[in-house]
Formats: sequence, C-alpha cells, structure tokens
Amino acid sequence: MSTDVVAIHHVSKIFDGGDNRVVALDNVSLTIAKGEMVGIMGPSGSGKSTLMTIIGLLDVPTSGTYLLDGIETSGLDRTAQAGVRNQKLGFIFQNFNLLPRLTALQNVALPMVYARVGMGEREARAKAALEAVGLGNRLNNRPNELSGGQKQRVAIARALVNNPAILLADEPTGALDSRTGHEIMALFRQLNREQGITVVVVTHDAEVGKQMDRIVSLRDGQLNMDALHEYYGINTDALGRVVTEVPHVG
Amino acid sequence: MWGEQLRMAWQSLRANTFRSLLTMLGIIIGSSTLVSVLSLGNALQGQVFERFIDLGTRRVAILPGDPDANGARVSSGYGLLSIKDFNALDKMVTTHPDIFRTIVPEVAIKVRARSGTVEVDSLVVGTGADYQKVQSVPLEAGRFFTLEEELDSDRVAVLGSLVTEDLFGKGVENRAKAVGQTIIINGQSIKILGVIKGAGGPFSSDQRILVPSGTARLRIAGNQDLPGRGLKMSSILLGLRTEGVVTKAEALITATLRDARNVPVGAIDDFKINSPTQALGILNGINSAITGFIAVVAGISLVVGGIGIMNIMLVAVTERTREIGVRKALGATDRDVLGQFVIEAATISLIGSFIGIGFAVALVLGIASAAGLGMILSIPAVIISLIFALGIGIGFGYYPAKRAALLLPIEALRYE
Repeated sequence: MSTDVVAIHHVSKIFDGGDNRVVALDNVSLTIAKGEMVGIMGPSGSGKSTLMTIIGLLDVPTSGTYLLDGIETSGLDRTAQAGVRNQKLGFIFQNFNLLPRLTALQNVALPMVYARVGMGEREARAKAALEAVGLGNRLNNRPNELSGGQKQRVAIARALVNNPAILLADEPTGALDSRTGHEIMALFRQLNREQGITVVVVTHDAEVGKQMDRIVSLRDGQLNMDALHEYYGINTDALGRVVTEVPHVG
Repeated sequence: MWGEQLRMAWQSLRANTFRSLLTMLGIIIGSSTLVSVLSLGNALQGQVFERFIDLGTRRVAILPGDPDANGARVSSGYGLLSIKDFNALDKMVTTHPDIFRTIVPEVAIKVRARSGTVEVDSLVVGTGADYQKVQSVPLEAGRFFTLEEELDSDRVAVLGSLVTEDLFGKGVENRAKAVGQTIIINGQSIKILGVIKGAGGPFSSDQRILVPSGTARLRIAGNQDLPGRGLKMSSILLGLRTEGVVTKAEALITATLRDARNVPVGAIDDFKINSPTQALGILNGINSAITGFIAVVAGISLVVGGIGIMNIMLVAVTERTREIGVRKALGATDRDVLGQFVIEAATISLIGSFIGIGFAVALVLGIASAAGLGMILSIPAVIISLIFALGIGIGFGYYPAKRAALLLPIEALRYE
C-alpha cells in the first residue's frame, strides 16, 4: 500500500460539445504523496481547473483511473462520490463560497451535517476548527460581517472539519490583498508542516507557486515543465525544492 | 437530518418573508375556504337535521296521487283522499300500536279571515288535537285545542304568526293580544286559542289557521265531500313510534290504502307516501352538493397554490444553484438536496395551511357565536386541509427539488 493520496493514471478529459470538441486533459498521470504541499499551475485553458475538479470528484474523467486515498473512484455512483467528497476532501474556493444566511459556526458545521454528526458534537468541532484558524471570536457572525481574509479562514475551517485526506484550494488568495494572501498561505504552510495535512493549491500566482514543495505544471492539457519558466519565470533549477519532474507513476 | 432540513427550510423562508407569504397565498385561501365551508356546511346540516328531529323524522304524510302519473287510471276524483281512507288508516293505527302513535287529518280550505275591518287571505287547516305530535307547531302564546274541543267541533282556532300579524299588527305584544279575540271566517265567529311561533320557510304553519277537523267541515267548508266517499282531505299525517319502523309503516299503509281504495293488482298506487326521511335526504343532498362544490373550488385553489409553490421553488433552485454546488462539494448527496427542497416546499405549504386554518377558525367561531350555534369547527376538515396542503407541498415541490438534486456539482459551482 503506497502512501499516495492521489494517484492519477492516464487521465483524459474531453468536453464534447458537438462541433466544439475540447481536450482539457490529455493523458495526464501524476501522484501526490501524503503530507505533500503541491501546486498545480498553468495558464488559462491549460487544464489546471479541470484537473482540480477531477481530483475533487466534482467531475469524472473521460478515460483513465484515479485512486483517492486508496479508493478507486471510477466505479462510484453519485451518492458514493458525495460521501468521498464529504470524508476525504476539503475544498477552498477563490470566492470562499460560504452560505450567506449561515453564521460562521453553521458554515463550518455544514460538512458534518452531511456526515450525520450529532448537533452537539457538530457545534463543538466547528467551534474548535474556527478557534484553530484564529476566529474563535467570530463564531456567530455571518459572512457579510467578515473581511475577505476572515471569510477564507472560515472556509479553511470548514474544509478541515471532517479531517479530510486533502485540502484542495482553487486560487485561495485570488480574491485577497497580498498581505492577507500571505497570511492564508502561511496558514496552509502551518497546517501542512504541523499537522501533516496534504495540500493541493491550484494557482496562476507565481508567488504562491514558489511556496509549494512541488509544482505540477500544465499546458494544453498535458504536463509541461517548460511552461513554468515561460509563464511564471519560476527557475526550476534555482528553486531546489520545486520538483518539476513528473513523479513516480507506476 | 430532518430537523436540520426543517431548520434550513425555516431559514430560507425567513430570508424571503414577503415572497414566502405571497407564495403561500393560494394555500392560505384554499385552506381557509375548505375549513370554513366544511364547518359551516356541517353546522347547517346539523341544524336542518335537528329541526326535522323536532317535528319528527317519526312522521309519514299521505298525499293525493298524481292523476297525470304514468299508469294512472281514468276515474273521476282519481287520487283524492277522503275520510274513508282516514278511517281505514285509523283502524290500522289501532291494530299496530307498536308502529304508529297517532293519526290526524289535514282538511285544507282557502278562506278570507276578518278581524274588525281587516281582511286577509289564509288557509284553514282542519285537523286533530294530536296535530302537535306529528307537526312542529310550538306555541308562542295561548294553547292548542283539546280532544274535547275537536270532538265537539268547537269554533276555536290556533293561528300562524303571519296571519296573526296581518290581522292584529306586527310585534310580539300584538301577537300575544290576539289570544282570546275572535275572528270571522265564512260568517262564523271563531275564538283564537293560541298563536304559533314563527318558523319561516314555505313548509311552516306561519300562514295557516288550524281548527278542529269537524269545525272545518261543518262550519267553514260547506260541502267538501267527495261523491260517495265523504269528506275530502288534503293529507293525512301518521306519527310513528321510532324512525326505525318507517319502511314497515310504509308497507302497511300501502297495503291498507290499496285495499281500501280497491286499487287493482298491477296498477300504480293512487296516493303518495311522503316520509320526512326523504325530505331530509333531499335537503342534506342539496347541502352536501353545495358544500362539496365549494370544497372542490377550495381544492382547486389549493392546487393553484401548489403551482405557485412549484413556480417559486423553480426560481429558488435557479437562484441558489451555487449554494447547491457548495453543498454538494461539501458532501451533500442528491437525496440530501432533494429532501432539503421538498421539505422547504412542504413547509411553505403547511405554514400557509396553518395561517388559512387560523382565518377559518376565527371566521367560523365568529359566525357560531353570532348565530349561537356552539362549537361547529370541523376537526376532520382541519385535518383534511393539513394533509392536503402537505401533499400539495410535497407533490409540487418534488419536481423543482429533483432538478436541484440532479445538478452536476461542478456546473452548479460555476453558475453565476
């Protein structure tokens, strides 16, 4: 049993809109080990968002296999997919996607509602998660009463609350000013280092990319390491810790 | 999970209070109509029934046969009732005390009655002292005539309330003062013994003057006899022991009268038997038809309300596409989303129904206390209305909820 949390083998995703056939992912293979902090980068249309939706079980590949924390995902029905999303994945979005009518506490408790966790435990765990991201004094505020950084912290607390195998963040700093963005990235780093949480961040921000252990670079639906330098000026040789090689695919 | 979804539904309704109320309007109107109409309909039915119980569902009336009826024989005076029939029935009543209580005739004569210079058209009805036992004639003042007065054919009368007012003036004092006075009918001075309480309606005795049958025959009518058959009667009333013997009584009466009137085997009856159970049935039938019709209209209103709910839920699903995407990303299954929206629709419908029932209760209790009817709220109507509203909420909420449930998570999340 490997320690790979994500194992993607020869995955393609083709959007077939009649005359307009788009190959979003073209035979992509990659693995992400437990405890890694990985960036997925690439220009628009490179397929990075598609890759994220497939890793996040929000969409299914046209071909290829995907093992998530040892679970073969291709045979799962919609209900089972929902269960895996609930238990294994924690999503963080660029625009936070908090439910506006719910308080911070209720937003964070939501994944546990779908996990059928009892009310008392839900509240206790949601409170603990908010305290862990430094929002212990904002439990009963609604999203419109919070700053961007605070909203993203609520979203992170919500993503963590079911102890997922992966934190999956889609442009998490995209809607934040640079200082707040740094704070959020620091929080990811802290969660990754201190608690060993696997973090996958989709970004086109070079500053964010540089903070990753490893970068998966995409262009035109394929893994392409040259793109990193070309688009973001990230010098893969100079950055010793940025591993650009397509890793250990069996 | 249910509790959680109810809470979600409540939060979402609160977020759009005004819209939620508008959405509920159809259900509110439908439920309040349903409950008030069914309650008032029931009360009316109860009232009608009580009045009939009053004068006895334990009563049967014999009426003349219809000479134009299909199968009627050609004979002079076909179908008319006479004292011969009365006597035959009287004998039958004596031999069957377990079925019949009493028998009285009704000899009706159109007359002009006069008091001083006031003259009115009226109907004199000659009958027996037992009339009170078969007909609802509660007295407002004075008394009814006795068996002795009946047998002696005394010049006495009991007046209906309208006749009394026409002769002596309106108002309860004038009616009371009439007792003891004398009126003139066909040149005969007749003493007023009592006045009947006004009942209203075409079947009441309000316009009548009741006198002993002998008085009607001998002193007022002149010759009312049918050739060879004696005194003509407009009807004969029989009192029954219980409601349960109506069928038996009708069979006995039919046999007795066919025999007395020499109706050949195979010919149709040349008389009619009219039991109040029939009339009661007809009245209740009409009432049920009206109640049923309005209830159907209320039901249609509920269905229209349901369409309103479906409409607003479709809007809500579109508006909240992103929310649905987020919920699905966080692990909501299709069933979770389906349940959330169905419960929301059912909640709208049920709250609407509760509000409607509230209005209906206020209306019904208001009418009941104004009319002195007591507790007439129909609990079954309330329950039916709630169940119906719940069904409508679930039924019309299902399609929008299904659409929400089937949204693909990624498309829902990307929806702007």
